[in-house]
Amino acid sequence: MSAAYILAKDHLKSFVRKISKGSRLIAPVTNEYGDTLYSEINCLDSTQIDTQHQPQSSIKHFFLPQQESILSYSVSQAGEYHFSNILIGVPTVFFGVRSCDLAGLLYMDVIFSNPAKDPYYFKKRENSIIISLGCNEPFENCFCNATKSGPFLDFGFDLRFTDLGDRFLVEPGRKRGMEILEEFAYFFNDASEQDLKDQYQLQLESRSSFQQNVHVDLAIKKLANEEVGKDVWQDLADRCQDCGGCAYVCPTCTCFTITDQPVSESEGERVRSWDACTFAGFTRMVGGHNPVSSEHSLRRRFLHKLKYDVSLHNRTSCTGCGRCVGICFGGVDIIKFISAVCES
Amino acid sequence: MYLPSQAVIQDITIENSRIKTYTLAFTDKEYQRNFSYAPGQFMMVSVPHCGEAPISFASSPTRPGTIELSVRKAGELTSRLHSLPAGSMIGLRGPYGKPFPMEELAGKDLLFVAGGIGLAPLRSVITFCLDSGKYGTITLLYGSRTPEDIAFQADIEMWRKAGVDCRLTVDESSSDWQGNVGVVTTLLPQTMPLSSSTVSLVCGPLVMIDFVIKELTQMGLKDEDIITTMERHMKCGVGVCGHCHMDDKMICVDGPVFSKKELTESVAHFQEKPTVT
Ligand SMILES: Cc1cc2nc3c(=O)[nH]c(=O)nc-3n(C[C@H](O)[C@H](O)[C@H](O)COP(=O)(O)OP(=O)(O)OC[C@H]3O[C@@H](n4cnc5c(N)ncnc54)[C@H](O)[C@@H]3O)c2cc1C
Ligand code: SF4
Ligand code: FES
Repeated sequence: MSAAYILAKDHLKSFVRKISKGSRLIAPVTNEYGDTLYSEINCLDSTQIDTQHQPQSSIKHFFLPQQESILSYSVSQAGEYHFSNILIGVPTVFFGVRSCDLAGLLYMDVIFSNPAKDPYYFKKRENSIIISLGCNEPFENCFCNATKSGPFLDFGFDLRFTDLGDRFLVEPGRKRGMEILEEFAYFFNDASEQDLKDQYQLQLESRSSFQQNVHVDLAIKKLANEEVGKDVWQDLADRCQDCGGCAYVCPTCTCFTITDQPVSESEGERVRSWDACTFAGFTRMVGGHNPVSSEHSLRRRFLHKLKYDVSLHNRTSCTGCGRCVGICFGGVDIIKFISAVCES
Repeated sequence: MYLPSQAVIQDITIENSRIKTYTLAFTDKEYQRNFSYAPGQFMMVSVPHCGEAPISFASSPTRPGTIELSVRKAGELTSRLHSLPAGSMIGLRGPYGKPFPMEELAGKDLLFVAGGIGLAPLRSVITFCLDSGKYGTITLLYGSRTPEDIAFQADIEMWRKAGVDCRLTVDESSSDWQGNVGVVTTLLPQTMPLSSSTVSLVCGPLVMIDFVIKELTQMGLKDEDIITTMERHMKCGVGVCGHCHMDDKMICVDGPVFSKKELTESVAHFQEKPTVT
């Protein structure tokens, strides 16, 4: 068996229908407002999977929901106070996952493995099949070439699709991917030498057509060795509106808070929800004392991605998806920061 | 790992108008028997409908069977806890955090400097030292706002009997107060000269810590011989939620105990200027 296969485009829907039988299917869909989002597809016949546009949000929220009840608790009349885990993981096939979002997922795998496996995250993760899609044409704000997480991430997927025009080149990654190929072998033909050459050519072209030229490596080296000028922080802090948008769209921003939501006098749920280190209240302590000023909460977001994660995990946790560039109306995005660091 | 275990409040000691010490035992006896911890570590405490808050051990593992937490009434959770009578149930998970280096401190002369509720975690250390008998001289400097605010008085009496040199001070005196008046740093000159094997453990409000550390350094203590605890807003206690992030460190995992040496190496402590919002 060769390690690459061909799926005719005409057969995509039936293949996806087969592998997602009994599972939830998530794929990029463009809605009536023109927004492309990773969405749940209930009816493949009436829904078009969008393989052309960049999804505006990552797949983060399917694994770390914006709000998730992780525990339920009860307080009995006699005063007994008990907690139990709420573990939810629906078998899900993700189709069309972009490299940056796959890289984000692999980063979350690491984050949620320490000090022990996070049961809520892994319940979802272990129920997922990831089919990634290489990016033939980088989008406007993308710079995953510079963060080494795309445009064709070579690992972490179950299957990887490459769009070769009238057909997809399909490669297995993890074991589950191989099993799928074996189970549905009738959909596939072995890829020819020419198919692989075509893929190689596409990858070359994609790599050379990034519109953003971001010097991530240089910034990482500078940050490891010198302090960022006060004026750089001040300039960014002045324009940050503290909205948290960058953290919400980011595939690797995983900070959360935990609160109780009483359901009745005697019952309630403990809820984990997204938080952002750029929020003023993030570090505020009882009595209103805040040990971290706003200029330093930006410092925390950028240095976390480009300095501390590099020293901890040997790579930046920015996946180059460019989403924070598109979303920030104050222009306080990671490309601006990297440029400022490189120029200073 | 986010699942709290039920514990019963066996006893409550009123330390002052704002601080109570809770004697607790897990209702699962097996769990209580196997439970171990070290001075300086903390628990995440759940109170019905109020979420969780990090609270340090005030007791020492040398006295197994129960654990003690001293809690200052501060906000929602701590106020609700203060309203609970003995016999009530709370939730506990932990222990978390890096403890005081009890092994390395063996044989050293210890100078404890505490302010307010900051004596709670040091109470754990002092009890540990007295019970194990492996440590040198013990001196405690303890600052409170007013004479009425002096907490842990019963403990202080006991420690004095056990040979601990306890010196108290208050910020504002009242008519019948005979002792020292002034912030806790005013007691420091009385401890001079420090023996060459002195290590100081400092715990209290951030401003106090900053002043005390500065003076201890002037008194000749080396950075590695000044040990303190950092307080940050905490949500998970296990290094994941990001709330207690300080540069490349997570206070809940890499701390809350740090030596001045470790803090100096971490730039943020000196760059993140405290602001009151
Ligand atoms: C390592 C460590 C050890 C500690 N040890 C002790 C001890 O031994 N004894 C003691 O009395 N105290 C101790 N504290 C302090 C204690 O944790 C706080 O006083 C306590 O969390 C206050 O909780 P509260 O619910 O009463 O206050 P509230 O301010 O009402 O807080 C309610 C909840 O909201 C959170 N919260 C508060 N402000 C914000 C905000 N701006 N945004 C989002 N959430 C917020 C709180 O963390 C809490 O979960 C310790 C703290 C740390 C970090
Ligand atoms: S920091 Fe910005 S560009 Fe990098 S992964 Fe997050 S959202 Fe994407
Ligand atoms: S409290 Fe969550 S990371 Fe420290």
